[in-house]
Amino acid sequence: MSSHHRWLLSQVPEWEREGLIDATSAAALRGRYTDQNTADGSRIGFAQIAMGSLGALLIGNGLIAVIGYNWDEFTRPTRLLFAFLPLLTSQIFSWWVLRRGDGASAWLRETAGLLQSLTTVGCLAIVSQIYNLGGNWPDLLLGWMLLILPLAWVLRAKSVAMLYLIGTAIWPFGQFNAGVAWHASPLIYPLLLAGLLPMWPGWPPKTAPSTWMRWMITPCATVGFCCAASFATYFTSESGYVHVNAEVAAWLCALVVACITLFPLNANGISEALGRKPQVILGALLLLGFGLAATFEDFSDEFDSLIGAFRLPWAWGLLMITAVFSALAVIQKRWAVLAIAMIAMLPLFGGVPGEWQHWLVTLYLAALGIAFIVLEFTGHRGSPRLGATLISLLTIARMADSDFPLLTKGIIFIAVGIAFLVFNLLIIRHGRRSSPVTP
Amino acid sequence: MKPLIASLIFLVAALAQWAGPLWRIYTYEQTLAHGMLIKLKCSAPDPYDPLRGRYLAIQPEQQQIEVPENLRLQEGVSFYAGFDTGDDGLTTLSGVSFTPPEKGESIRLRTRNYVHGSYIWIDWPFERFYLNEKLAPEADLWLAENIRSAQGVIAEVRVLKGKAVLADLSLAGKSFREILKERVK
Repeated sequence: MSSHHRWLLSQVPEWEREGLIDATSAAALRGRYTDQNTADGSRIGFAQIAMGSLGALLIGNGLIAVIGYNWDEFTRPTRLLFAFLPLLTSQIFSWWVLRRGDGASAWLRETAGLLQSLTTVGCLAIVSQIYNLGGNWPDLLLGWMLLILPLAWVLRAKSVAMLYLIGTAIWPFGQFNAGVAWHASPLIYPLLLAGLLPMWPGWPPKTAPSTWMRWMITPCATVGFCCAASFATYFTSESGYVHVNAEVAAWLCALVVACITLFPLNANGISEALGRKPQVILGALLLLGFGLAATFEDFSDEFDSLIGAFRLPWAWGLLMITAVFSALAVIQKRWAVLAIAMIAMLPLFGGVPGEWQHWLVTLYLAALGIAFIVLEFTGHRGSPRLGATLISLLTIARMADSDFPLLTKGIIFIAVGIAFLVFNLLIIRHGRRSSPVTP
Repeated sequence: MKPLIASLIFLVAALAQWAGPLWRIYTYEQTLAHGMLIKLKCSAPDPYDPLRGRYLAIQPEQQQIEVPENLRLQEGVSFYAGFDTGDDGLTTLSGVSFTPPEKGESIRLRTRNYVHGSYIWIDWPFERFYLNEKLAPEADLWLAENIRSAQGVIAEVRVLKGKAVLADLSLAGKSFREILKERVK
């Protein structure tokens, strides 16, 4: 819980006593600021989870090391017993924690979930050791992830959910082969991610993921979806070889990021601090990076070859999702987010004559940068520093591919640097003038 | 989630955590007990797996196989191959098909990344022979002495219904573990 929220909650009884707010408003305030910080309906501190997870990790790793020793002097059944005993012990522990229901503290649930997850993979590992099985890690990883997923649901163990998110985001890379059947390929990633949904039951979910869970989900989902979208671009060339279409894959990844950035939010979600919206921060960074790359002629020249993308159902699916999410963003007046997400649509300038494409992208990004600054100074919610950074980067990019002498480039870089610092000072002063002193 | 539903889901998950490895054990035990024995000449360096300890990386000498012209294989695709056994008792792979042959045993393999001309590279279903840490240094020496000998190190593999399990390594008909234990004494 942030210090601001703690302070606000501590003031509520006093305000109620003084008659500044009534009982309903006090309850609403308590509900809102308590829920925001214990978003999953339980008061789980990060430290509790970290301690429980660390303990389970140490025990689990110790067990795996003991298992990994390969007890040559024992028979096969005895060695198999070593694999199953820790699993059974951890299952009994988890069952005991589960039976305690809400009485079980967060760290106990985390410890039980993680320990059982590790003994499960330990068991799979020793079986493959005893039978000298090969190192096909994607199969082992997927099997492990599916076996531990229900623990995240029933024990509400966030460490297990985190493990699952990371594991399922890594798995598609191991299956990135042309000959892999669709049901064993990265294309099933959306289903794997949907497997976590029971952690937030009901529709719309009664509770929202906590901030740090959002920071886990966003990068993992971005990686997983991008991998799936790239896999969908495999094609057979005239020579008979099967390749990924790199240009189309890059565009589909940009569309994936646009969808994640535009992910619909309710009114509470929109009013939350930016730090609680990693999809917007991460999405904006990735899309601005994509946009900046597209301001270079070499990159934007490839837009012409994107026509092949329209043969792919994935391209149409992503375009439709982007269109729906964009319409919702228009209704909710999320103009800044929408403007950033539209960077993914810039490759549609493919119809424009070659030499103009990168200039059109440059103009769009420059307009975006200026808009972020102007909004702030006209009483709207802008992002002046991001705008200034964008304009500075565009200037540097254009200098990089210009034919100006080195001296001219150097002077312009210095001028941009000074302008950036002065602008930063102006923003600090503007911020002090426009916001009252808060506790 | 209601306690009864949570308990049921947990029990199913716990059973699945047992069923997965137990099913693998059953199929590998069946292969070891009833599978056909094939012998493959191989080379074997010595790495380490953080999860499963020391092992010898087994690499059968045969890394490619000829495919019929009408069979197009992409990377990562599963296929079946039959066996030819030479006068020396060593086995080589022959005859590639998408389905197991009607007569005789076959082994299920995968194509590796690189496919060229009428030959494909094989991804063998076994590549490791796990060792006790005490035996591993002696295994290094043994391999260095014998890997390039005329007889070579032989991988003894049991095959049943396409599934292959590496049973042992041998030199001149003698088990690798027995040789190592004698050397350690």
